[in-house]
Amino acid sequence: MTPDRRPAYFAWFILPALFLAVALVASLASLLQFGFREHIPGSLKVGGFTLENFGRMSDWVYLRVFIDSLLLSGCTAIANLLLGYPLAYALVRSRSSLLKSTILITTIVPMFTGDIVRTYSWLVVLGKNGFINGGLKSIGAIDTPFELLYTPLGVTIALVQYSLPIMVIILAAAISHIDVAFEKAAASLGASPLEVLWNVTLPLSMPGILSGTVTIFAWTLSAFATPQLVGGGKVNMISNMVYQLGFSNFDFPFAAVLSMVALALVFLVLYFMGLGLRRLERVGLH
Amino acid sequence: MGETFSVSVEGVLKSFDGTPAVNDVSLKVRKGEFLTLLGPSGCGKTTLLNLIAGFLQPERGEIFIENELVTHTPPYLRSIGMVFQNYALFPHMTVAQNVAFGLKMRKVPAPKIAKRVADALEMVRLPHLGARTPRQLSGGQQQRVALARALVINPKVVLLDEPFSAIDKNLRAEMQVELKQIQKRVGITTLFVTHDQSEALSLSDRIAVMSHGRIEQLSEPAQLYRNPATSFVASFIGDINKLPCRLVSVSDAEAAFEFGGIQARLAASHAEGFSPGSEAVLYVRPEELTLLDAGDPAANFGAATVDTHVYQGTHVDVYVRYDDGRVLRARHPGFEAIERFPAGGRVGVSANLERAFLFPAS
Repeated sequence: MTPDRRPAYFAWFILPALFLAVALVASLASLLQFGFREHIPGSLKVGGFTLENFGRMSDWVYLRVFIDSLLLSGCTAIANLLLGYPLAYALVRSRSSLLKSTILITTIVPMFTGDIVRTYSWLVVLGKNGFINGGLKSIGAIDTPFELLYTPLGVTIALVQYSLPIMVIILAAAISHIDVAFEKAAASLGASPLEVLWNVTLPLSMPGILSGTVTIFAWTLSAFATPQLVGGGKVNMISNMVYQLGFSNFDFPFAAVLSMVALALVFLVLYFMGLGLRRLERVGLH
Repeated sequence: MGETFSVSVEGVLKSFDGTPAVNDVSLKVRKGEFLTLLGPSGCGKTTLLNLIAGFLQPERGEIFIENELVTHTPPYLRSIGMVFQNYALFPHMTVAQNVAFGLKMRKVPAPKIAKRVADALEMVRLPHLGARTPRQLSGGQQQRVALARALVINPKVVLLDEPFSAIDKNLRAEMQVELKQIQKRVGITTLFVTHDQSEALSLSDRIAVMSHGRIEQLSEPAQLYRNPATSFVASFIGDINKLPCRLVSVSDAEAAFEFGGIQARLAASHAEGFSPGSEAVLYVRPEELTLLDAGDPAANFGAATVDTHVYQGTHVDVYVRYDDGRVLRARHPGFEAIERFPAGGRVGVSANLERAFLFPAS
């Protein structure tokens, strides 16, 4: 008897996952076949086989949205890292339970409000007479309001707030796996707190930094509600373009192509993350 | 006066959630000495080490490292070397980078670092492993690298926190000898924390036995064994019989005490502070008890019945039972005692009460 021999009926437990996988693959396959069909303007029906939809990808109008999306997601991921790391570090290492619960409440709890609610709140905060501009005006810091709403900066701010909880959770998990003895050892060897952070804590949290940044990047690349509302049609990301093509122009074939390309992009990013994590593993981290 | 101590701890108090972990402790560690903090888990020895290292700050009292007040100095400014229980070698650095870390933080020029790292690895007999990562080393090798990393910065004191607890038993004795050799050669002041009394007895110049946040006794290993200052030290160091008894009479020359209908006497110097009628506990080590043939007039400790033998290789422990049920352990060298005093037989017991200790009943 091997010790980890499991009963045969355990195999049945995979059924729900199998069901989900089948549904997902089927819908993706259906999406894929749409990409190879002719668009018939003014009709919900699609025509015969064509490769033309893929050719349209090279149009600058569409490429531009992809580049914008990549930039917005990249900035969001980096801003997340810069804001999230100190929060996660304090969450894990602080001895003050007051500080810990403050961080938990302010960063994690907003995750439980829906993204539409959160995005509408940002409209209130970022608008011309919103919280930020109103506040700055009332203390006399500015005369003309900042353009935040319907700008890339505004969308990025809203996206960061939207994804920060996930980043903090991923980073906190990584930091909590670092034995405090490493930091103590560095301190005993003469490293100041900043040197400990730079030479020991940061390198040892690389797995979390990598997976957190990539997760946020891949996740916000498919953001919809935030750019739709805060961007107001002036800042478009891939999902907004797909929506517009699919449900305003009823160009399902081209919308399908853009979706597939976006999906492929995300898989590519995840693949590189996997490579990176494997390298870190070889060094002995993770 | 005037002597420089490597570490001076003066009246230090540290508590967690209102419970004192280190309670008004004072301790002076001499230059070059190997001093061990010994005690059961929870006695405060690790807390005291962390206070000296600077990872904790005391509520009261002062700590000096070579006459410099460091009570509230952060660890990285204290010039200490530390070896951790699990070594805490940085996994993302090579062995050489680990050893070089402290020198790099001190902004030592690169060529000098290379030389000193090589010397340090030579000292711990691992000159060829500089390019490896800690993961590729055995436990004993990691231990040596941790020691090299702590010593290469020429600290004023090196602190070792149960460094042998993660090493398997066979290797442990070898590593202990090596640590002692390196320590003597380098002449570094060493503060060692352990709960293992045999480790403490074999390595230390002096031992501070701790219990409940206080130092019970600070003295040389042999003194702890032969002259325990408290009942805790008597029972913590080595094997010992505890015999509850009552003082019968105390004169200038000697004191008489009684247990289970048996009376015995010991020198008055052993019973200072006791008055007739007071309850006490007599501590006597197994090797100070000798069994005699029944009826032997030299038996000053009454007669008893042999219960069991426990053969230990170099000696036999014979457990004898008195008529009132109490059991004492007597230690005889060799194995002859097994045949001479068979189980169930009557024996006379003789005790060397010069080497016994009387403490008040708690």
